[in-house]
Amino acid sequence: MIELTRITKTYATAAGEFVALRDVDVTIGKGELVAVVGKSGSGKSTLLNVIGGIDTPTSGAVLVGGADIRKLSANALARWRGRNVGFVFQFFQLLPTLTSAENVMLPMDFSGAIPARERRKRALALLDRVGVIEQADKLPSALSGGQQQRVAIARALANEPGVVLADEPTGNLDTATARAVLDLFRSMASSGTTVILATHERDIAGIIDRTIELEDGRVMVAR
Amino acid sequence: MTAPWRKAIRDFRNERARTVMVVLAIAAGIAAFSTVMSSYAILVRELDRGYLETNPASATLWTDKVDQQLLADVRARTPVSDAEARRTVRARVKAGPMAWKTLMLFVVADYGDIRVSVLKPQSGAWPPKRGELLIERDAFQVAKTKVGERVLVRTSDGTQRELRVAGSVHDVGQAQARMENAVYGYVTLETLADLGEEPYLDELKILAATNRYDEAHVRRVADEVRSYVESRGHAVRRMDVPRPGKHPHADLMGMLLLSMSSFGMFILLLSGIVVVNLLTALMASQVRQIGVMKAVGGTRAQIARIYFVQALLLGIAAVAVAIPLGMWGTRLLCRQQARFLNFDIASFSVPLWVYLLDALVGIVVPLLAAAWPVWKGSGVSVREALADYGVSANRFGIGAFDRLLTNVGGLARPTLLAIRNSFRRRTRMVLTVITLAAGGLFFMAALNVRASLIRTLDGLFGQRNYDLSVSFASMVELDALARAARATPGIARSEGWIASEGSIGGGHVVVLAVPSDTKMLSPRISAGRWFQKGDVEVLVVNSALASRDSRIRLGNVVDLGQVSGKVIGISREPFAPPVAYVLRKPGRVNNLKLDLLQTDPDSINRVKAALEKNLEREGLRAVASQSNADSRIGFDEHMLMLYVFLMVVAAVIVLVGGLGLMTTMSLNVLERRREMGVLRAIGATPSAVWLIVAAEGAVIGLMSWALAAAAAWPVSRFTGSVLIGRMSRGGLDFVFEPAGLLIWLAAAIGLSVIASFLPAWHASRGAVAEALMYE
Repeated sequence: MIELTRITKTYATAAGEFVALRDVDVTIGKGELVAVVGKSGSGKSTLLNVIGGIDTPTSGAVLVGGADIRKLSANALARWRGRNVGFVFQFFQLLPTLTSAENVMLPMDFSGAIPARERRKRALALLDRVGVIEQADKLPSALSGGQQQRVAIARALANEPGVVLADEPTGNLDTATARAVLDLFRSMASSGTTVILATHERDIAGIIDRTIELEDGRVMVAR
Repeated sequence: MTAPWRKAIRDFRNERARTVMVVLAIAAGIAAFSTVMSSYAILVRELDRGYLETNPASATLWTDKVDQQLLADVRARTPVSDAEARRTVRARVKAGPMAWKTLMLFVVADYGDIRVSVLKPQSGAWPPKRGELLIERDAFQVAKTKVGERVLVRTSDGTQRELRVAGSVHDVGQAQARMENAVYGYVTLETLADLGEEPYLDELKILAATNRYDEAHVRRVADEVRSYVESRGHAVRRMDVPRPGKHPHADLMGMLLLSMSSFGMFILLLSGIVVVNLLTALMASQVRQIGVMKAVGGTRAQIARIYFVQALLLGIAAVAVAIPLGMWGTRLLCRQQARFLNFDIASFSVPLWVYLLDALVGIVVPLLAAAWPVWKGSGVSVREALADYGVSANRFGIGAFDRLLTNVGGLARPTLLAIRNSFRRRTRMVLTVITLAAGGLFFMAALNVRASLIRTLDGLFGQRNYDLSVSFASMVELDALARAARATPGIARSEGWIASEGSIGGGHVVVLAVPSDTKMLSPRISAGRWFQKGDVEVLVVNSALASRDSRIRLGNVVDLGQVSGKVIGISREPFAPPVAYVLRKPGRVNNLKLDLLQTDPDSINRVKAALEKNLEREGLRAVASQSNADSRIGFDEHMLMLYVFLMVVAAVIVLVGGLGLMTTMSLNVLERRREMGVLRAIGATPSAVWLIVAAEGAVIGLMSWALAAAAAWPVSRFTGSVLIGRMSRGGLDFVFEPAGLLIWLAAAIGLSVIASFLPAWHASRGAVAEALMYE
């Protein structure tokens, strides 16, 4: 369960204070697949960052799986994130000097949640699950965009997190690949993982459970 | 101010931390260069000025006696503008409860009328009265005394007398007393008489009237004076014509300054590498901006100018930092050199041309270093530039080397990440490794040269199987010496030698007559052989003598004045003065070599004291005694100076290398900010990110160590032979110090981690969200 209460996030800019989120109240249940939609600059990414603990709200409370992440130190927050949250980015953001399998194993190394001798086996299983097992020992530079995003999804699932946050995960993919990636998210949610997508995609109604629409940092519609 | 200029200045200002590092790296190079150039200008000027102010003698002749009439007649001769008579007497001075040091007593007839080789009073009384002596300022620490104290002086005939140390003088033309481990004292003829010596003068110092700096002319004048003195019935036993107008140590200083200049240039070159790295990274990160500038009409030259302006600003800032640093370094170096060579610096003023050269070099080096990256970076097409989607593009893995690296396994992912990351910007990494390796190389070279010097000196002193050498003013019966030695406890064996002086080609040669079966010498014969029974009229020369004159070759008959003979062997004696060994005939000797049972200073002093009494019983008196340890002090002082010099050079290079690595790591971190954000997003703690960056720095340090380790042997050998080999005239016994490898390994890794600390800290502390947004 994710509970955001009266979340406001402001940034100081040269042009003055910029409000990215205004009094946002959101609750998302376990195993839900939620799309956060809105124009550029509406606050989608900020909302995901606040949920994932990579940005702190200026005011308001964030509870993720019962944990008040605002109270965690930088180290504790990193450990919590490693075990509880998986991230998927628009440009995949695989580490270019690690192979696909190594990229997937890296969060396991950081969290220590998976015993060392089981990490590769688990990484290969995850890569198999997202359909890129053949690419396990290749470097990201040898993979297509779709393959890289699948590896990134496998990496997000490395420590079996309760929440996966995906910021424009299909923004850089062709239609067919994007559809396959969304199907993957659907199956993850169906198996109990909460998945939150920030997206511009319009044709996702049949896949997601509900939509949160943001405009100028405010929640306009929560369907 | 036009927009391009504004951009150049603002970019420069926006990257303050990195700019400061690069400015410091260039400033270190310019400061080193400036220090050397300024010191060169000051030292050459001051050494010559100080030396010439003393009116140094054009030539010195040693005869039986120089009386007032002879002196006046020589002064009246046309080619001579002035002349003065002096005398040097060898004696001993008590410098501790049981320690006697060699005392060179310089006798001056009239301290109020010194015309040649002038002495400069420093403190205390001037001139010395009867019963007083002045001591050269550098010799006080050898004599272990102070102005106002009384010292016990003993002459060759055994006369002992206390003299009051009346004052301190500076004798510019003398070798440093510390290095010679001798005391220079200055007395009047009356004091000399009180010391039991006959009060006469036998040295004639002359000044050429014209062309004083023309060596050939000076030699002709000296020869003429010699003929004149001999025509007056005075035999001239020795004549010395030093290099006109040059301080005796000018060559040594010149060599040191030349070496320093080379190192200064080298450090400057390394600073240039740091600039290449910075500007290459700057150009890479500005590709999009370059594209935009081109799209709005900027030409390649216009865009290149912006970045050249940045290089120019770096140079100007570095010069501004380097000049005061260089001035400080100059004073430090000049003072140290002046102390080493025992001369005074009246003015530290640096000629304007040195400052202009510093500024020119400081500005040109960054511009030259910037040339390639700027020209290449500004040549990117608009289409390529605008298509560039950030600095973290997945280029790794395209080359075979990347794929090879990918096969490296068996390590934790964070470690693998650090190793592979090190190789992502290969040119930058190679330049950084080279800069850092250069520091390690000089550090190891300093250790190796030091170890080699020690081994060489050990080899030289190892040839001497005696521990104590006792000299006598005249020839004495060997049997009497042997009896005194046998009666002295602590002496294992003794041997009598004859030490005299010869000459060849105007240079002096120490001639040592030794028994053919000498037990006191184990010569290292590099060519030919040592003496055998039955040899007659043969010579063995040492390497210093063999290298002096082309006539001194195996099989040639060589005339050294007092002795002549066929050269049958060459003995390798690095650092030794030119020596010729001849066979001693039975009977009388003037030098006693002693092999002692114990060689600690107290035991040696006990033997000296006991031997003195036993010699007195035989009616003999030693004029000087010197242990091998005393002889070695001068060598060790020179060695220490050289070692310190190499270490200082290594430290400056390490500083530049460290700043270079810091720049590289900060560029690496900056370019991978988004990756750092990803690492943090997937659960890496700040300390884990810090460790990954620090480990990357350590990998670079490790590579620099490997490069330095591979090059250490040949470079150390080369440095040793250039700096020492020529000076020793007998080669260097090169030895590689393995401890240097381990020390530098620890230092390289430590330095790398320190240099990576700040960039790693920034990488680990930045906001994750900001890092993820970074392009």
